[in-house]
Amino acid sequence: MTEPAPLRPGTDRDSAAWWELVRRHRLAVQRCTGCALLRFPAREYCPACRSRSWEWRDCAGTGRVAGWTVTHRAFHPAFADQVPYTVLCVALDDGPGLRCWGRLVGAGPDALAADLPVEAVFTDAEPGLTLVDWRPAAPPH
Amino acid sequence: MGGTLRDAAAVAGVGYTPFSKDSGVSTTTLACEAILAALDDAGLGPEDVDGIATHRVGDSSPPWAVAPALGIEDQGWYLDQFGGGSVSHAVLGQAAMAVAAGVAETVVCYRAINARSEFRMGGQGRPPAGAFDLQYQAPYGLIAPVQHYALLARAHMLAYGTSHEHLGAVAVGQREKAAGNPRALKRDPITMRDYLASRWIAEPFRLLDCCLETDGACALVLTSAERARDLRRPPVNITAAAWGGGHSSYSGAGPGGIGADPTTSAAARLAPRLYAMAGLGPADVDVAELYDCFTWTVLVQLEDYGFCAKGEGGPYAASGALRIGGELPVNTHGGFLSEGYVHGINHVAEAVQQLRGEAGGRQVPGAEVALSTAQPGYVLAGTSALLLTAPR
Repeated sequence: MTEPAPLRPGTDRDSAAWWELVRRHRLAVQRCTGCALLRFPAREYCPACRSRSWEWRDCAGTGRVAGWTVTHRAFHPAFADQVPYTVLCVALDDGPGLRCWGRLVGAGPDALAADLPVEAVFTDAEPGLTLVDWRPAAPPH
Repeated sequence: MGGTLRDAAAVAGVGYTPFSKDSGVSTTTLACEAILAALDDAGLGPEDVDGIATHRVGDSSPPWAVAPALGIEDQGWYLDQFGGGSVSHAVLGQAAMAVAAGVAETVVCYRAINARSEFRMGGQGRPPAGAFDLQYQAPYGLIAPVQHYALLARAHMLAYGTSHEHLGAVAVGQREKAAGNPRALKRDPITMRDYLASRWIAEPFRLLDCCLETDGACALVLTSAERARDLRRPPVNITAAAWGGGHSSYSGAGPGGIGADPTTSAAARLAPRLYAMAGLGPADVDVAELYDCFTWTVLVQLEDYGFCAKGEGGPYAASGALRIGGELPVNTHGGFLSEGYVHGINHVAEAVQQLRGEAGGRQVPGAEVALSTAQPGYVLAGTSALLLTAPR
């Protein structure tokens, strides 16, 4: 019998600080202070200029749908009662090539289309664990 | 590029165990059975072995267990590579390097898995070792390779209009080819209607978009091209091998930088290197065994190995070009979708049989050049491929 997956984020030495920001309902990515490249997931080195100097840059909390899948099978018992559920890949508006994943909330998958604007929704899943889900953005006023 | 590797090594033996849903035996036993069959095919024995190579993801018997199980006192050169489908062809390229460098003369390469009855490829709800970026996905229920590939397929559909019927054309066509393969686990023909009616797994993938999970093993014997000419079977040269980085499905990082467009696979960067080592191009390929963990994977490789324009993989697959008698026979054994899934090596084994002229009812007449590919660089972000030729 295999062990259940560690669904609680791994919070390794690269990612711990990012998850802590999410617990405080901040979505942020790293900005290289050497060349200004934004990057995610968290890494010590900038892949463009190899600087180790960086700072957190708070995100706008918005993005565009880059892809999605509706899952019809429970690949882990923890998700059995959510099936079918939709996971998105979101291209963050903050910079090129920033990809983030999360569940679709507040709408069904029929609402999805390429480049649909979405906004982040912080979900306090359990004590010490906040997740970032996505819902279709309200139309601009 | 390529130095002394081109045409230095050849496949002299091919061996399989039966494929099943429950082998009833250990992976050590499967490995032994496949290796002994491959050695027998080559007219050699365990006493000739001076190199052993495999790849595994915590799911199989390592070389240091298999060698003594076969009574091989000193295995000589060895390679025990961590990795799944993406390294399946890398391992063979490395074995060819060992032969080319003169550090081994008879290398057995194997992959042995109980991937249906024990460690299921489709996901055990557990991230593979080293996939630490899965932490950003697993909490949302994004865990299994089928889901990662589903996201890729969806992006390709959005960008290029690839349709469900294009995916279905791959599934239906490969099942048709499996009818001529006595080894195949799935040989009953399916229609497009059957495909469209098969149940959803992770949209846009249905059950029939997904490769089989199989218990079984496959082994190859590699030796020098020169020596292979003197052995039992028609030699098949490893004319080119290539290795490359890929596009991690977990971090989104890919060739060309962070967040590079995932609808172009790592094969697009790998293919020129591979063809250049061989002095060949896509038009020279007589048969292509393209890694088909999912139907969509075939489409993107048709594009990225240069057989059709970017975005045209779907229409090309649906055109009939991939049939045995078509312009580019693909996955002549039925592929992982229908033959069985030994994680990559069984594509090379099929390519060898095609080039030997031993493929029976699924033979591509006069096949002299075969492309065989590993997983095209997604998931754990590496890829590899081989070009094999029948020396004349």
